[in-house]
Amino acid sequence: MAFIKSIKKIFNKYHGFNFNAGLVITGLIFIIALVGCFYTPYEPTAMNVSIRNTAPSLAHIFGCDDSGRDVFSRVMEGIRNTFFISTMTVLIGSGFGIILGAAAGYYGGKFDEILMRINDALFAFPSVLLALVIVSLLGPGFLNVTVALGIAFIPSFARIVRSGFKSQVNMDYVQSARLMGAGDLRIIFVHILPNILPVLMSSVMIGFNNAVLAEAGLSYLGIGVQPPRASLGLMLKDGQALLATAPWNALFPGMVIVLMVLGFALLSEGISEAS
Amino acid sequence: MLLTLFGVSFLVFAAFEIIPGDPAISKLGTDATPEMIAALREQMGLNRPFIVRYFDWLGDCIRGDFGRSYSYNRTVISMIGDKLPITVTMTIISMLLVIAVSIPVALLLAKYMGSTIDRAGYISNQILMAVPSFFLGILITYIFGLTLRFFTPGGYISYRQNFAGFIGYLLAPSVAIAIPKCAMSVKLLRSAILEEWNKDYVRTAYSRGNSTMQVMYRHVLKNALIPLITFWGMAVADMIAGSIVVEQVFNIPGLGRILLTSISNRDYPVVEAIILLIAVVVIVMNLIVDILYRCIDPRISK
Repeated sequence: MAFIKSIKKIFNKYHGFNFNAGLVITGLIFIIALVGCFYTPYEPTAMNVSIRNTAPSLAHIFGCDDSGRDVFSRVMEGIRNTFFISTMTVLIGSGFGIILGAAAGYYGGKFDEILMRINDALFAFPSVLLALVIVSLLGPGFLNVTVALGIAFIPSFARIVRSGFKSQVNMDYVQSARLMGAGDLRIIFVHILPNILPVLMSSVMIGFNNAVLAEAGLSYLGIGVQPPRASLGLMLKDGQALLATAPWNALFPGMVIVLMVLGFALLSEGISEAS
Repeated sequence: MLLTLFGVSFLVFAAFEIIPGDPAISKLGTDATPEMIAALREQMGLNRPFIVRYFDWLGDCIRGDFGRSYSYNRTVISMIGDKLPITVTMTIISMLLVIAVSIPVALLLAKYMGSTIDRAGYISNQILMAVPSFFLGILITYIFGLTLRFFTPGGYISYRQNFAGFIGYLLAPSVAIAIPKCAMSVKLLRSAILEEWNKDYVRTAYSRGNSTMQVMYRHVLKNALIPLITFWGMAVADMIAGSIVVEQVFNIPGLGRILLTSISNRDYPVVEAIILLIAVVVIVMNLIVDILYRCIDPRISK
């Protein structure tokens, strides 16, 4: 309950331009993703040779690709997949990150020392590279990319949560909670975590931002989502070959990526501005 | 730092140990006899204990010997050495672009703080930050390559053939890598400048008879650049990782190309070497940032 209350507090607190603009963009894309689960104007994989590479029109607002598939329907499916992957990524990354970071920051000592050494080593790999390595170990595919990105995001979340806990752990309210007989778990999750939530929320949004970029990048390289499933990165890859004849194949998915990233970036900015 | 290097090398080696799939089998194909596999495993040194192989490998790496590629009969160092200049040149060009563009733009925005220029700058910054560099690469190919015909997409020129042509071709991908980083550093630098501008030493500098220009360049900018150096240090690592994707956009046979083909061929020595190389670059960049800090701001070393 304390969680929901704190999240509500955050939403009531932020009315800045960045936050609102981010909310509108992200909300719009989220709705498209949600609708995409049940309805797309055309079947995303339905091919129709007679309308190959036709330009955007009223019937096909984003045009058609070289197998005559409707680009808008595929973009909808791509948004859905990207949303799913980035949500899972952030959940895995922040879930494990919170547990590890909270334990390290709260208990300190040897455990903290060892964990932060490992974290330092992991930090030397740019997260896309880390994901690339993990994908190469697991093999390409939808679920593997999700797992790979989730693992790649754990270190940064752990670091943020740890420093948040370090700054809170010696405060009076923690002491008094302890004197009242609260257990460690209760102190960690009920007392300290809500206090670092604004910082955490802001980094969750950045996490979404990076996850969308990383997923698009990996799919662009051909080791993410596999065809015939649609993904924004994959569509960019296929569309690039058609750039000279049917540029809408690459331009629309790319713009949607930009919008998604922009929405999350603005949200993160809005949250950190207000706190 | 040495500890981190050690940890990094151990992680890289261990990660490639736990993967299923035997490189000896993949090299010989599925119809190899068990004796042939055993002989090749012996020859490749795959059946010694893990820790022994790790220290052997580490020792070899320090001497600059990354072993031989499994799929091509070449040493890893000769494969990477060929491609390294391409990625390094691209990273250097984009870094120079970021520094050369972001400082004047940030100064301009800070000077006209709160005005229309500032707001327009802010909005375009936010948008540019959101554009992934490989999509920028595609946009640049479309606008400057296909429509305006400034360069031939895919017409990569080797640095051995024509060095000027090589730089010219790398310019477009470098711009694609540089733009998001550039937007980010403009944003950081602008807020750093404005933060420094309200500090007491600015008033002191004015009262000693300095002009606005002098205060800006000799006092404020120097302090505002400190957080930027950390960012630039991290940006180099990102740019190298980002160049893997951008290389694919522009069809450049650089480090990214071999990394990807080696990953799909399960050519572990090559993958290990490239990843280790990038991690070492990141660690060395962090060290350089630390040293630069001390040069710019003597207070830190005390």
